[in-house]
Amino acid sequence: MERRLQQLFFLLSLVAFMLILAAAWQANTPSWKTYQKKFLALESQGEPNAAAKSAVLATPLQIHQTLLPGLQRVDRCTTCHLGIDDPTMKNAPEPFRYHAGLGPHVSARFGCTICHGGQGLATEKTAAHGNTQFWQTPLLAREYIRASCGRCHKEGDVPNVPELAEGRHLFETQGCRGCHKLNGVGGSIGPDLTEEGASHRSPEWLERHFLAPNAVSAGSAMPNFHFTKEQARDLTYYMLSLTSEDMGTYFSSMRSIPGPSYGRQLFVEKNCIACHAIGGVGAKSGPDLAGVTTRHSMGWLDEQLVNPELVYPGSSMPEYDLETNARKALVAFMSVATPEDAKLIISGRPRALSLDDVSIEAGKQDFSRFGCVGCHGTELQGGVENPNAQGGEVPSLLHVSDDYTKDEVIAIIRNGRVPPIENSSAPPPPLYMPSWKTVLSDEDIHHIADYLWSKQQPKKDSW
Amino acid sequence: MNLIREIWQSIVRRDPLTTDKGKSELVFLNVWLHIHPAKVKKENLRFKHSFYLGFITFFLFIILVTTGIALMCYYRPYPPQAYQDMKDLQFVVFMGPFLRNMHRWAAHGMVVCVFLHMCRVFYTGSYKKPRQFNWVVGVLLLLLTLGLSFTGYLLPWDQLAYWAITVGTNIGSYAPFVGAQVREILLGGHTVGEAALLRFYVLHVAVFPSFVILLTIVHFWRVRKDGGLSRPVWKLIPRRNEKLVTIGAPVETVALNVAAASKDKTYGLMEVVTGKPIFETVTPEEEEDTVFSYPYAFVREAVVLMATVTTIMMMSLFLNAPLEELANPAKTPNPAKAPWYFLGLQELVSHSALLGGVVAPTLMVLALIAIPYLDRNPSRRPADRKFILWTFTIFVVANLLLIVIGTFFRGPGWTMVPPWVHVVAGAE
Repeated sequence: MERRLQQLFFLLSLVAFMLILAAAWQANTPSWKTYQKKFLALESQGEPNAAAKSAVLATPLQIHQTLLPGLQRVDRCTTCHLGIDDPTMKNAPEPFRYHAGLGPHVSARFGCTICHGGQGLATEKTAAHGNTQFWQTPLLAREYIRASCGRCHKEGDVPNVPELAEGRHLFETQGCRGCHKLNGVGGSIGPDLTEEGASHRSPEWLERHFLAPNAVSAGSAMPNFHFTKEQARDLTYYMLSLTSEDMGTYFSSMRSIPGPSYGRQLFVEKNCIACHAIGGVGAKSGPDLAGVTTRHSMGWLDEQLVNPELVYPGSSMPEYDLETNARKALVAFMSVATPEDAKLIISGRPRALSLDDVSIEAGKQDFSRFGCVGCHGTELQGGVENPNAQGGEVPSLLHVSDDYTKDEVIAIIRNGRVPPIENSSAPPPPLYMPSWKTVLSDEDIHHIADYLWSKQQPKKDSW
Repeated sequence: MNLIREIWQSIVRRDPLTTDKGKSELVFLNVWLHIHPAKVKKENLRFKHSFYLGFITFFLFIILVTTGIALMCYYRPYPPQAYQDMKDLQFVVFMGPFLRNMHRWAAHGMVVCVFLHMCRVFYTGSYKKPRQFNWVVGVLLLLLTLGLSFTGYLLPWDQLAYWAITVGTNIGSYAPFVGAQVREILLGGHTVGEAALLRFYVLHVAVFPSFVILLTIVHFWRVRKDGGLSRPVWKLIPRRNEKLVTIGAPVETVALNVAAASKDKTYGLMEVVTGKPIFETVTPEEEEDTVFSYPYAFVREAVVLMATVTTIMMMSLFLNAPLEELANPAKTPNPAKAPWYFLGLQELVSHSALLGGVVAPTLMVLALIAIPYLDRNPSRRPADRKFILWTFTIFVVANLLLIVIGTFFRGPGWTMVPPWVHVVAGAE
């Protein structure tokens, strides 16, 4: 018995030793080493003599990585994808092929995953490509890759990716914010979209969802907007670009500063001339903008554009929710703007605005920015389907003054309202008016009411 | 050659192991081995008496300390670096996955073995006089083991960790008056966050292990001082006189049979006193039944040690410790589950927060601690303890059943979903 036990002890010790060896062997033969050896063999073929060949083959095998500390990213993709930056590898088999068309976006500075997705930390194929249960962002399919450009280039036209600007435009004009929050602004009927580009939803899912929301997620309250295939693709691109990772700021030192021409475009789009003048040409409700960049610092101007009331308590300037780059572009334009520019811009407008018009204009901005147009329509016509609500659709706002006073409307915007139900036994209507008092200031709500009243039409049945 | 022998002698300072004196000296002249008696009862070495569960638990703890210290070299207790360090262990640290797997499986193993060890001690009635207090120490060690496992659960900072700890600490907050405060002190805030991770880390690597080491020393010491391992149930003499006398007790003083002083005997500083000791003593008949610890006890312990190590290594080579996506406070998995050993509690909580989350666990722990003092029946023979054996069995089975239900049968919204039905997670 004792002899047997001693033998068992030595046997078990031997097994333990073998297991350690096995674990060490397992650790010492990762698949990336196999790829690196293959790559070195491929590289050595091009060498002229045996000495050079063996020198290449003797290259130590090691993990290659790009560190992006500010983004908490470490990309080890180049451990296997070794020919990414070597043009002579343009016909090499994967994973060694040269990555053409990168322009300034070399992997040594940008890594790979900010565009491609996948799991940068991993050094094993399946895990690295993110096709595992617990990784949010697997590799993006080739046809959707360009959507990633929008993760840094959040404003303006991104070269070769018209879909992004289109998608963004659709998002802001179709009233998506009425139900969805983006960067803290918007309703809460649908899911927050701030992190949509980093969620696990596949691009295909998004695209099908835009074409027919109910077909992919049963019982969805999202109305069918009857988007075309192209529009669905544009919106999908825009969704994929949404992330709260601060890539734009992180890379801003490597990017060109936005030019005044984009600033001018925004200046027209946001209707700044309605309140401001440049060198005496324009409206007088806001300060003259000539020389404003010499009176104030860049930081002051940037903060003013983010939150006018914060810098100037009581300021009537609306918030415009502009991205970092858009603000930079506007400031760039202000530094070069001349009265001639103002004249040209005004000539595109029928007339300068009065103080009342300022409120109406701000209301119009809010009405579209906070997504009211999503349900009530860009022309206040309503008509979005809402089963089991009275009339079966969201009401038009062109005749509210017939039934309500301005104060009543303000109360409804503040507190929200559940629409009257047609059939009490059927499920309640999916859409309702949310309470806006936590999102909108009283001033914003008054602006919106002013805007509604400016659009009221005479009673249909009046003589 | 003589010098080498002299150096060796200066280290071991004992007679050769071929002599009985050498075998004894090996034990009591060695600080690490002297926790053993020089001789042990033959029957106590039998595998079917103790299943060596206490040893296995201790060896698992040794594995945990060793691998844990190695893991500390690669870990930063700060989100989200903590999660990135897990990924580094998985993908770039040499033998990193093996190391983490060993720590993970040894941790689960320790929870299981501590529990089984407790069951063995209960079923053999080994908590009875004079071993009552050592049972209490054992219950405290069980609680510390759960605490260690629970605090370690958070450290990978993935979704599994984050939500298990959120659910686990929520269960604790149902306690009246102090629950919410205790949770806040434990987490360093109202939700699981940076402060919670740092606190759990400190508890996991410093506070709890220190207490486990201290209490283990007490636990081992008491095993010796209470008279070694309890006799196997099958060796119990029926209706044996269980009366014991405290040292120095004034009544019933019986003169000790002290051998006459002789030149062959040496004396230490131990005082010679009268009276019988409180611990179990060995009768002359039983003395016949003992063997030297070397090699009989030591070789068995060595085999158990290597069996434990190889089992954990084998598991670690083929089974990977889970790691889910980065902790995301905004995305609650459905259902969010506590660590498996608390799922029985969570199951109870799902029926009644106060009863299941506070009253039941408190009563369970108090009942466990009180067992040796409530059970006045002096007999350790199963035939004399039918009622209490059945009660304990029902308690154990009910606990296991609740854990099995919580682990395998609870789906989204804590509804009953059998494990063979596939639920698509995250479908909207």
